Amino acid sequence: MAELLTLHFDKSGLHTTVQDLGRQGYQPLGIPSNGVMDHAAAKVANWLVDNPEDYPVLEITLIGPQIRFEGTGQIAITGANLSPTLNGDAAPAYETIDIQSGDELRFGRPVAGCRAYLAINGAWNIAQWLGSYSASAVKPGELTPESLIEKGSKVAVVPGQSIEKRAVPAEQRPNLSNIRDIRVLPGPEFSQLSNLSIASFFSQDFKISNDSNRMGYRLQGAVQGFNPKNEVISSGIIPGTIQLTNAGEPIILLADAQTSGGYFRLANVIAEDLDKLAQLKPGDEIRFRLS
Amino acid sequence: MIILPYGDSALLINFEQIVDEAVNQQVIALHNILKHWPEVKFTIPAYCSLTVGFEKALTSQTELKEKISATDLSPISTAEQQRTVHIPVCYEGDLAPDMRDVAEISGLSHEEIIVQHTAQPYRVFMLGFVAGFAYMGKLPEALQCPRRDTPRKEVPEGAVGLAGFQTGIYPTIAPGGWQLIGQTPVKTFDPVEQNPSLLQPGDLVQFRAISRTEFDTITDSVRIGGYKPEVSHG
Repeated sequence: MAELLTLHFDKSGLHTTVQDLGRQGYQPLGIPSNGVMDHAAAKVANWLVDNPEDYPVLEITLIGPQIRFEGTGQIAITGANLSPTLNGDAAPAYETIDIQSGDELRFGRPVAGCRAYLAINGAWNIAQWLGSYSASAVKPGELTPESLIEKGSKVAVVPGQSIEKRAVPAEQRPNLSNIRDIRVLPGPEFSQLSNLSIASFFSQDFKISNDSNRMGYRLQGAVQGFNPKNEVISSGIIPGTIQLTNAGEPIILLADAQTSGGYFRLANVIAEDLDKLAQLKPGDEIRFRLS
Repeated sequence: MIILPYGDSALLINFEQIVDEAVNQQVIALHNILKHWPEVKFTIPAYCSLTVGFEKALTSQTELKEKISATDLSPISTAEQQRTVHIPVCYEGDLAPDMRDVAEISGLSHEEIIVQHTAQPYRVFMLGFVAGFAYMGKLPEALQCPRRDTPRKEVPEGAVGLAGFQTGIYPTIAPGGWQLIGQTPVKTFDPVEQNPSLLQPGDLVQFRAISRTEFDTITDSVRIGGYKPEVSHG
């Protein structure tokens, strides 16, 4: 039996949660899929430490935590560049990192992207809820406690077999600094839109508002000429659904969004570009393109 | 039944776009078939639509659409066992903060509101909004009233509310604008349970009026895990 690798969180960061690829099959009860916002980054992080791709990771948002390691093991960091340092020296991204007992991982200034992922070689010693490690709201504003990192939290991992260092070549890492175009497919109510509204949706830049999180991104800017004739009877919402409020303001629903809604569904972001959206933050501007 | 593409890894199946028991029965029947298909990742049954997420590695939008179109719905809907969940509600005092407003809107007395609300079982058309929130209906015309002008920031767990043709039970503390006419001591959502939600899409719910004393007794019993609401089949 290997010795545990324990992560002690001396600081939690802005919003640090445990996520995996999500929870499926509970949508009929009103429970969203949850799960990582940037699937590709999380999968690569797990590959770098020889874990199956659906293993849990830490999703770290803009301001990272401060982690003290007890025990030895291997980790990897992918996604946003949040200036990670290990014992004061810059920590490499997109490669396997060996951890010794007493090592301290910190994060600094967000340089590119919004969400970083930390994978740990081995099996996580924390509770699942309904078949997934992903943080979920058991009631509004209250996440499954084991999956929410707070100051003083501890996460223990049973380390897996140590592997030879892996790395993703620089040219294969995503470029997170120039994301602007988001590809969409027409949504269920798209055909009810006027040509003016369609043109308006595809021709303007929308700014991601401060009121944006894992549930959804509210966009600043309105679709012109939007005048819904029929009310939508409450119907399914999936990550990537773009709803229009009655004022014509788009909202992109994401991993933690509620499972149903009664607003006009204009378009859907394609799965691949949901990963790009995960790396955008309030103030960033996007433009929609038909996929 | 119209099958629409919904993003690149889901389909949306629209039935006749009305809120109606027979239409919702078709939704639930199809949901009960599709949820067992290996290529189906998740389903979201709603009033008159079914969202179906699929594994892109196992099928395509076109292939899945054809398979669904070729599926016979008729035998399943009749074989489905109807569950009726009996839920006690206290319609009194501070547990019914909007009773006076509902009486004013409907022109009914407190007593008549209770009689109307408990007169027949309601169908759980769908769950949504927050984990475990069941949208039930349809209410008798006389009980239908608009949402409150100003939503409450915190509706208590167990509160029973009205909104338009719908009635619902708040499974947890949540913000909400429904008119609150009572409260149940029953826990309808418990995250520690294997199946956390008492109510499932397609269930029937029969409310029963209880006194404040009985409410307190059941509350104590629920706390120690000694109360299970009656569920009948057939």
